[in-house]
Amino acid sequence: MKSKKKIEIFPIVNGLIFIILALIIIIPMWKVLVDSFDLKTAYGMKLWPEEFGLAGYISVFKNPTLSHPLMISFITTIVGTLLALTLSTFGAYVLIQWDMPGRNFFANMLLFTMIFNGGMIPTYLVLKSLHLTNTLWVVILFPALNVYNLVLMRNFFEGIPVSLFESATLDGCSPMQTFIRIVLPMSKAALASIGLMFAVTYWNDYTHYKLYITDSNLYNFQMKLRSIIMGSDLPQANGGATENTVKNAAIIVVIIPFMILYPFLQKYFVKGVNIGAVKE
Amino acid sequence: MKKKVVSLLLVATMVASMVGCGSDKTGSTDTTNNNEGTVSTESGDTAEAEPEVEKPEEITIMVDGTVFTQENGQDEFIAKLEELTGIKINVIQPDHDAYYDVVGQTIASGDWPDVMILSSTYYAGYAAEGVLWDMTEAYENSDLKARQDAYGSTGVIDGVKIDGSLYGMPAARGNGCVTYVKKAWLDNCGLTAPTNYEEYVAMLDAFTTGDPDGDGVNGNTYGVSAAGFVGSEAPFINYLPEFYQDANPSFYQAEDGTWKDGFAEDSMKEALQRMADAYAAGYIDPTTLTNATSDCRNKFYDDSFGVFTYWAGTWATNLKTNLEANEKDGELVALEPIAEVGSYLDRIPPVWCITSACENPEGVFKYFIESMQDGGETQFLWTYGVEGVHWSTAAETLFEGTDNEKVYADGEFHGLENREKEGTQYTKAHIDPMLALVELADDPKDTSLAPEAKESAQLFNDNCVTADLVPSTDVMAEYNGELTTLKNTLIANVVMGELTIDEAYAKYEADHGAEWSQMIVDSLNAQ
Amino acid sequence: MKKNKNQSAEVNANSGKKHLAAKIYKYRGFYLMFLPVFVFAIIFFYLPMFGVRYAFTDYNGIKEATFVGLKHFQKMFSMPNFWSAFFNTLEISIVKLFLTTIAAVVVSIFLNEIMNIHFKKVIQTIIYLPHFMSWVVTASVFSLILAPTAQGLVNTFLVNNGIIDSSSMIYFLGDSKWWRFSYYLINIWKETGWQTVIFMATLAGINTELYEAAAIDGAGRWGKMRYITFPALQNTILTVIILNLAKVMNLFESAFVLQNDAVLDTANVLETYIYYQTFNSGAIPNYGYTTAVGLFKSLVGCILVLVCNQWSKKVRDGRGIV
Repeated sequence: MKSKKKIEIFPIVNGLIFIILALIIIIPMWKVLVDSFDLKTAYGMKLWPEEFGLAGYISVFKNPTLSHPLMISFITTIVGTLLALTLSTFGAYVLIQWDMPGRNFFANMLLFTMIFNGGMIPTYLVLKSLHLTNTLWVVILFPALNVYNLVLMRNFFEGIPVSLFESATLDGCSPMQTFIRIVLPMSKAALASIGLMFAVTYWNDYTHYKLYITDSNLYNFQMKLRSIIMGSDLPQANGGATENTVKNAAIIVVIIPFMILYPFLQKYFVKGVNIGAVKE
Repeated sequence: MKKKVVSLLLVATMVASMVGCGSDKTGSTDTTNNNEGTVSTESGDTAEAEPEVEKPEEITIMVDGTVFTQENGQDEFIAKLEELTGIKINVIQPDHDAYYDVVGQTIASGDWPDVMILSSTYYAGYAAEGVLWDMTEAYENSDLKARQDAYGSTGVIDGVKIDGSLYGMPAARGNGCVTYVKKAWLDNCGLTAPTNYEEYVAMLDAFTTGDPDGDGVNGNTYGVSAAGFVGSEAPFINYLPEFYQDANPSFYQAEDGTWKDGFAEDSMKEALQRMADAYAAGYIDPTTLTNATSDCRNKFYDDSFGVFTYWAGTWATNLKTNLEANEKDGELVALEPIAEVGSYLDRIPPVWCITSACENPEGVFKYFIESMQDGGETQFLWTYGVEGVHWSTAAETLFEGTDNEKVYADGEFHGLENREKEGTQYTKAHIDPMLALVELADDPKDTSLAPEAKESAQLFNDNCVTADLVPSTDVMAEYNGELTTLKNTLIANVVMGELTIDEAYAKYEADHGAEWSQMIVDSLNAQ
Repeated sequence: MKKNKNQSAEVNANSGKKHLAAKIYKYRGFYLMFLPVFVFAIIFFYLPMFGVRYAFTDYNGIKEATFVGLKHFQKMFSMPNFWSAFFNTLEISIVKLFLTTIAAVVVSIFLNEIMNIHFKKVIQTIIYLPHFMSWVVTASVFSLILAPTAQGLVNTFLVNNGIIDSSSMIYFLGDSKWWRFSYYLINIWKETGWQTVIFMATLAGINTELYEAAAIDGAGRWGKMRYITFPALQNTILTVIILNLAKVMNLFESAFVLQNDAVLDTANVLETYIYYQTFNSGAIPNYGYTTAVGLFKSLVGCILVLVCNQWSKKVRDGRGIV
């Protein structure tokens, strides 16, 4: 009886706290959202748009040059995320082989790349000599190896019970077979979360584009929206009548894909999602 | 532990071996690059002896976002330009924000374009490093000089000379800021446009304590706003000229030709006093320190303040239309510089440079750079773009059915709708018609430009002096960054009342500011 | 700690060369799997590392680099504001790292307790969204919310509740006394939700049987949170913190967009300091100098990671975080 009563109070308090927290978190974004629907420009905060209108969004979406970058964004994000997940899981899988000769060398080699780097100009020279500049390859390949995510992935793999690996080896599974049959199904939450991190990196990437690509036909969606958001700050840009509305609409448009994507991934963040997979 | 040491060692050796190969590789590119440089200068010398300058067949140009982008009809623009010049033109156009990063990378890679656009800072730096071809002689004997002479604009060219040598050609003047005042606010307060500092402060006072926007509340507005108390690039004082007046927080060349640092001079101290007083009185936006430029614009549009120093020309129209979209009175008065200011500052324009890797610099100068300001068809292209893409003289109605509907008669010159920004028109290409250095034949600017844009540009043109181009020295590269940071902090502290002027200058001495300043001044004068 | 080292040394000594060959053969499939990772690391990270040599040269990307020894390091260490920027970086960056990680862990644990899946989804989505606002936009929104004027939400709130007087509004971002507080707060706002993604994924990996067993043992909600949920996160927390320590010195954008001329004494971090030094100088940046600063930063990151890695080995049975 006692415990039942406790359970009933806690979720309510917990839920209330999260509602308040969510409201506080929304406030700064609310400003952007309201401004994006408001045909009038104001500096201060408003609860609702003073003069509601969709002109900002219409102007962003009617921009005839957006569909091509959108396609580039989809291609690079999908291809890049798959490639990056392959590299991360391969690398992480190797790093949990604690007895493998050279394992520590590989680990240190990867850690070293996280700490030291050659700098902007040498990186450019290497990419140029490999003829990667001004191609989509550079924006797909360059971010694919991310040691931070690889180590996080390894951290997840460590949670897989060793007994599973042992029994797989006894069954005569090759490393690759074990990887596909045991490791991947046991790591749904890991794949979803690290995959999300990569997808976000690829979708939001503009640094690699602006440094290594000069052909604007290869620019992605983010690059385009950024020029809408930043564009009006050019000293002599010819801003439209609703400069601020369009800018705020572009900021919201950047966020929308992640609002849609996250709830889909959340089914992988549920207790027991990994275990169920292997039992099947 | 041993294992670990071994593996770390292995990593280290690997890196070391990479370093080895790497350095060889860059070493070789660097040498080729240098060779190319010398070869081209030699060929330059020989070409000088010959009377005829050969037209280059193909050139590569590197440009920022001020030339039409792909989305805005670059292909058509370049096709037309190729037709007019007879030169095949390859364009490299990096993202506008990252332009100078990409320029730096490209220069380091040794794969130089023939021509590139550079801002004054990079222009001076690259010229000093021998990246740029010295075009002084080609220019002195050119028709271009005669055309610019006739239009009275050679002063701008003199402004970009470094020790008498010219390494880049501006396509237009640099433009600068003028002070806009809301006409309705002046009327509401019964004031006329101020002509001296006293009247200016009186106006700020009325705008701050009175009810200039007529909403029935006194004191919910303020006089003037800016993004920061001092600009982040030269000329640093152009957003608050009325307070700075003749003060200069940075280096300038005195009448006798010697270089000086204006920060420790009395004029600067007086300027600081003026700003501190105005800030304390509430005339200056209290969040000036943290404002972004876009914050200032939004505050101006929602009638938070009344006096805004911003770009002359097209921006006059932008400010007006944005105010009107907000249902505020859009009429702005572009102030003539008040008596103490004397004149507005013309920024040093970006310049078109020929690199020393270019094989035929004379040809490129004559047939590409010069043609840009030929006063005729090519200049027209650089000024307004391509007929049928960027402008037209056909009878038509733009933005039909909207509030913004515009009807044009046959033969009436007008900009076409912007391909990227619906509802706006192209007003110019690379060269702003109001800032041209050479008179353009059949220039439609009198009818094509919005009256307020033309007016503010004209006002600026009539009342501006060119800012000094500060050459870069090694000592400057070493200390000026630190010095500028110190100066900016002191300015903010004084204006916001945290330090008195005497305390600020004592700190300036104590923190080596004066010492660095003197070292830089010495290095500039030693040149 | 020493024990572990001795043990591994013993193991090494015991396994002869034959064993090694056999072992390598046994793991051949794994070497093949590591190959692509290896190639990527070489191409994108190790090849450009030849650039590290520029730290000892004068190089502006135009003329051949000339060797200058330790000149850049001498200059760096002798600049009066270098050390203050250095210590600012360490403090701001590490405090920020711990605050956002703690916040994310707490939020994750409590989020994990929400049973209504739809409510959980909505909350999770909302709190992770700020991550997708760029720092420039974030800075402009917060400079409004924290403004010392009637438009500033926070100050208005404080005045209305009688906490401060309307004449003494706080300039949160323009006052050195308040800047860091505001900076941490904005960072927590922006990054907490995003960091929960990785913690929530870790929690999803907890074997549900553990909770059931704990329930049978009579553990209540707090007991489960304390003895199952939190320990399950420990490994991830440690990894996240140590990995981030490697990047502690790289702090740039968030500090850059939020700082201003008046708060530089508390807000200037190494990267922004170098930025002002190079871009305010009015000259072509000396690439050798920036590389030297980069190398110095890497060394600091390296020391931090190695020290913490040793510490983590204690917690993780002799295994480092990598």
